[in-house]
Amino acid sequence: MEIPKELYYTQDHEWGSVEDGMMRVGITDYAQHELGDIVFVEFPEVGTVIAKGDPIGTVESVKAVSEVYAPVDGEIVEINEALADTPELVNQDCYGSAWMVVLKISDPSQVDTLMDAQAYRAYVEAEAK
Amino acid sequence: MRTPLYHEHEKLNAKIVDFHGWEMPVWYTGIREEHLATRNSAGIFDASHMGEIWVSGKECVPFLERVLTRNIAAMPKHRVLYGFFLNERGGIIDDLTIYCVEPGERYMLCVNASNTPRDLDWMNVQNREGAVIEDRSPETALIALQGPDAGGIMKAVLGLDLDTLKSFTFTILATRDYGDIMISKTGYTGAGGTEIFLPAAKASGLWSSLVEQGAAPCGLGARDTLRLEMGYPLHGNDIDETTTPLEAGLSFAVNLEKPSFIGREALKEQSSSGVSRRLRGLVLRDRGVPRQGCICVKGSEQVGVVTSGSVSPVLGTGIALAYLDKSVGEKDEVEVIVREKHLRASVTRPPFVRGTAHT
Repeated sequence: MEIPKELYYTQDHEWGSVEDGMMRVGITDYAQHELGDIVFVEFPEVGTVIAKGDPIGTVESVKAVSEVYAPVDGEIVEINEALADTPELVNQDCYGSAWMVVLKISDPSQVDTLMDAQAYRAYVEAEAK
Repeated sequence: MRTPLYHEHEKLNAKIVDFHGWEMPVWYTGIREEHLATRNSAGIFDASHMGEIWVSGKECVPFLERVLTRNIAAMPKHRVLYGFFLNERGGIIDDLTIYCVEPGERYMLCVNASNTPRDLDWMNVQNREGAVIEDRSPETALIALQGPDAGGIMKAVLGLDLDTLKSFTFTILATRDYGDIMISKTGYTGAGGTEIFLPAAKASGLWSSLVEQGAAPCGLGARDTLRLEMGYPLHGNDIDETTTPLEAGLSFAVNLEKPSFIGREALKEQSSSGVSRRLRGLVLRDRGVPRQGCICVKGSEQVGVVTSGSVSPVLGTGIALAYLDKSVGEKDEVEVIVREKHLRASVTRPPFVRGTAHT
């Protein structure tokens, strides 16, 4: 299971990367593996203001529907339009080309409440038991 | 409960889920990959959870004639038929395949896993003829080898030329390595191939040999998307005790000419008065995944409900089976409500893709 060192993680298996007050968000390798083949993704419109824990996307696999939640408060400034045509990218490249949305972070202090790679790995290993 | 192949699934790192009390593989590498392997080459499925009920004895034919919708007396040796157990209202207690092992003497019924106990109870209650009913499910494994390469793999492993078997017939082969096995030219994928019944103790050996020859292990996920692409109904989803074969478009498996069988009167009546709803295929024209329970509308009027839905791995679009009001015909347009969104769908006659089963 791939858990890149430089990213932040949530208990709902989202990852975030922070740069210039923006957070790029996607789902983790663990999440895409648990869901199986992703066949559909959908995001709110750019400009939507959301709170930490609110849904910022829906991901459907053949067998399941799953929400993607905002790791922090913010405004959606970009969504990954390419995933509509190629949802399978989520299975192939979840930390790269299959990023989902970019949030403009409202409260930078919330970033510190997220897990780092080491904490997330421990969390996933505990959950898998 | 576990099938005799459970440890093979573990070895292959399958994702295991609960399926009506059975610990079954839902996928090994991924549903899409397994689905396409079956369509394009060969997939292998553990269907050992399904029930095998043997019916024999002097009175077996009159009994089977009364509880089944097909003409049993006319079945030649080693013929297979698809048929139903119905209730008095014509509702489907179970759908099953009927194997004529010895005409007039011995038949095997292959029934849905989750319905096996209920089927057995029902059969025993109905059995006033005194037929001998035996549940051989625990000692019987069922491996489905499906896809265009199934023939080559069977030749390599068992030396059997599948082309010599006609569709919906079977043969019994005495083998050194796997005991007496029943090889049936049937399936639930539309991809062609065979279903193999064999002693539970021999299942792992045959499974491994077939996998070694190139059959891709496939889980219940691919089994479901494959059958859905062909429009084959799944009992519990698309058909159940509240739906009749006529509503489900399965009248080919009901012989109303037979003088009597349970459910016949209700079907006769429905046949003359006409059905109020029909199971239809839907192909989504908008992006999205129709799911069981989604409502179908036409304008502001509710016209039906989805009973099975997914994204077709072959077409890449949402497909579904849905009971639609009789006012809705083929080539009509409806909308399926998926999480409050109205998605456009065309009403079609399944199969949604071209199968390769017709040999």
